[in-house]
Amino acid sequence: MVVDDHPMWRDAVERDLAGAGFEVVATASTGREAITRFAATRPGVVVLDLQIPEPDGVQVTTEVVALHPSTKVLILSASGEQNDVLAAVKAGATGYLVKSASREELLEAVECVAAGEPVFTPGLAGLVLGEFQQSAATEVRGDKPTLTDRETEILKLVAKGLSYRQIADRLVLSHRTVQNHVQNTLRKLQMHNRVELTRYVIEQGLDGDD
Amino acid sequence: MSAWTSPAAIEVESRLFRALAVLRVVVLINAVGLTIYRAGNFVSPAAALVCALVMVGWTAFVVWAYAAPSRRTAALVGADLAIALGLLLVTPLVKSPAFQASVPGFWVSGALLACAIHYRWIGGLLAGVALAAADLGLRQQNDQSIYGNAFLLVIGGPVVGYMCESVQRMAMERDQAERAAARAEERARLARAVHDGVLQVLALVQRRGGELGGDAAELGRLAGEQERELRALIRGEQPGRGPAAGLAHGMVDLAAALTELETGTVTVSGPATAVEMPADRAGEIVAATRAALDNVRRHVGEDARAWVLLQAFPDHVEVSVRDEGPGIPDGRVAEAEQDGRLGIAGSIRGRILDLGGTAELITGGTGTEWELTVPRG
Repeated sequence: MVVDDHPMWRDAVERDLAGAGFEVVATASTGREAITRFAATRPGVVVLDLQIPEPDGVQVTTEVVALHPSTKVLILSASGEQNDVLAAVKAGATGYLVKSASREELLEAVECVAAGEPVFTPGLAGLVLGEFQQSAATEVRGDKPTLTDRETEILKLVAKGLSYRQIADRLVLSHRTVQNHVQNTLRKLQMHNRVELTRYVIEQGLDGDD
Repeated sequence: MSAWTSPAAIEVESRLFRALAVLRVVVLINAVGLTIYRAGNFVSPAAALVCALVMVGWTAFVVWAYAAPSRRTAALVGADLAIALGLLLVTPLVKSPAFQASVPGFWVSGALLACAIHYRWIGGLLAGVALAAADLGLRQQNDQSIYGNAFLLVIGGPVVGYMCESVQRMAMERDQAERAAARAEERARLARAVHDGVLQVLALVQRRGGELGGDAAELGRLAGEQERELRALIRGEQPGRGPAAGLAHGMVDLAAALTELETGTVTVSGPATAVEMPADRAGEIVAATRAALDNVRRHVGEDARAWVLLQAFPDHVEVSVRDEGPGIPDGRVAEAEQDGRLGIAGSIRGRILDLGGTAELITGGTGTEWELTVPRG
């Protein structure tokens, strides 16, 4: 499913995906359309623009992942929306690509997320690193997951623009191991989010325990 | 629209008339009470009763009449003043020619203030002079306190009128400022919508151009540059996201400053939150980063890719600049330094050392990487 409020972009992405043999089961131009059509068509991958009419891309990600945890969400968004991208990834998106990416990069990214692998651009790696560094600096070590040294190292290299292959060579690891580490950081970030939510719920006494 | 018929001015006037209505009731009670108390001073009690009834009736009427802006006519204000003057003028007849207190007494202040509110200082002055003249003219002898009261009428009228005018003017200015702010906000909202469309087209041109290759690729590259510039411009304009938004004086967001170095070939990554640093230190870091990127362009190629990564820690920041060029041969940097060509050494190392940080250069087969570590404070 392709979600973008600009018909031009929606058509371009749809054409590229269809041309490469993907089946585009639905397109949507607003968040509301996206959620209804998602429920009706249950696509495996959602290519999602963050800036769409209400509800926005972050909310759509949350809804879609809640409806179908196995669905992969690939954010295809304009640059300069760092906070939204981070929020979407925390909400469960598995990849982020800027709109200036080429068709090959888009197809590759869709293939990746469809196969369950995260699509990490250097920009996203920087955001995730920043998020963990910030929580490490402001919080007493507690129940929140933190990154291992190896994961931090790999994330740093991704943020510096190295490919998985280059990272594997440099650290003398297998391609697969690098991929696993990257996947772990994303999983931890999403867990991070859940821990925050759970803590919030408990603090606010919304867990129905009282 | 005349200045005094603007909604803001009318609103001010209405509020003042509401306050005046209260004052009128108070001075009415005072005047009627005194009339009853001094009933013996009147030539005929019937005349005193008529005067009191006129005051009660007229007060009730004007409280109602002044409540609506459309009823505040010259005729009403004129009649208001005429009634007050009339009651003053009949005083020698209903009391005695050697009266001490006039029949209406302080009740005339209602008419005076109505004139002042509706016709501002000039209205207040004319009404004050008219009332004072009538009061003084009727008396056989004027002592200090009577003169004092008359003087207060002449002074009070224009003062209240002038104040009313000032408050109206301020209300109008506030209204204009609010309207201007609302207009600016609406314009910004529209601009964002328009810009978003333009940005999408530019991004698409960039993408398609790259696919088509040749001249189209050049067009695509230009479109990409324009997209980034326009986006940076819009980011700067957005309320709450401007360069100084939410930052203490003299502090800047290093993350935002570095993002401005992003181009089609340079990727800048960093945390989603602002990295607050003193402006001068951040400026030096940005300059060093720019120098490193210039170096990439010069030594690796105009379209060489480069990656900038900003990491923020509580006590320091780390900026890395990486390219995939052939690397810098050993000793080249030192050699250049000795030659007095301070290219890299001066621009990057010098700046960072001055900030109390370290600048490490790692170079090898897979490119060159600058690691700049700088204390935050």
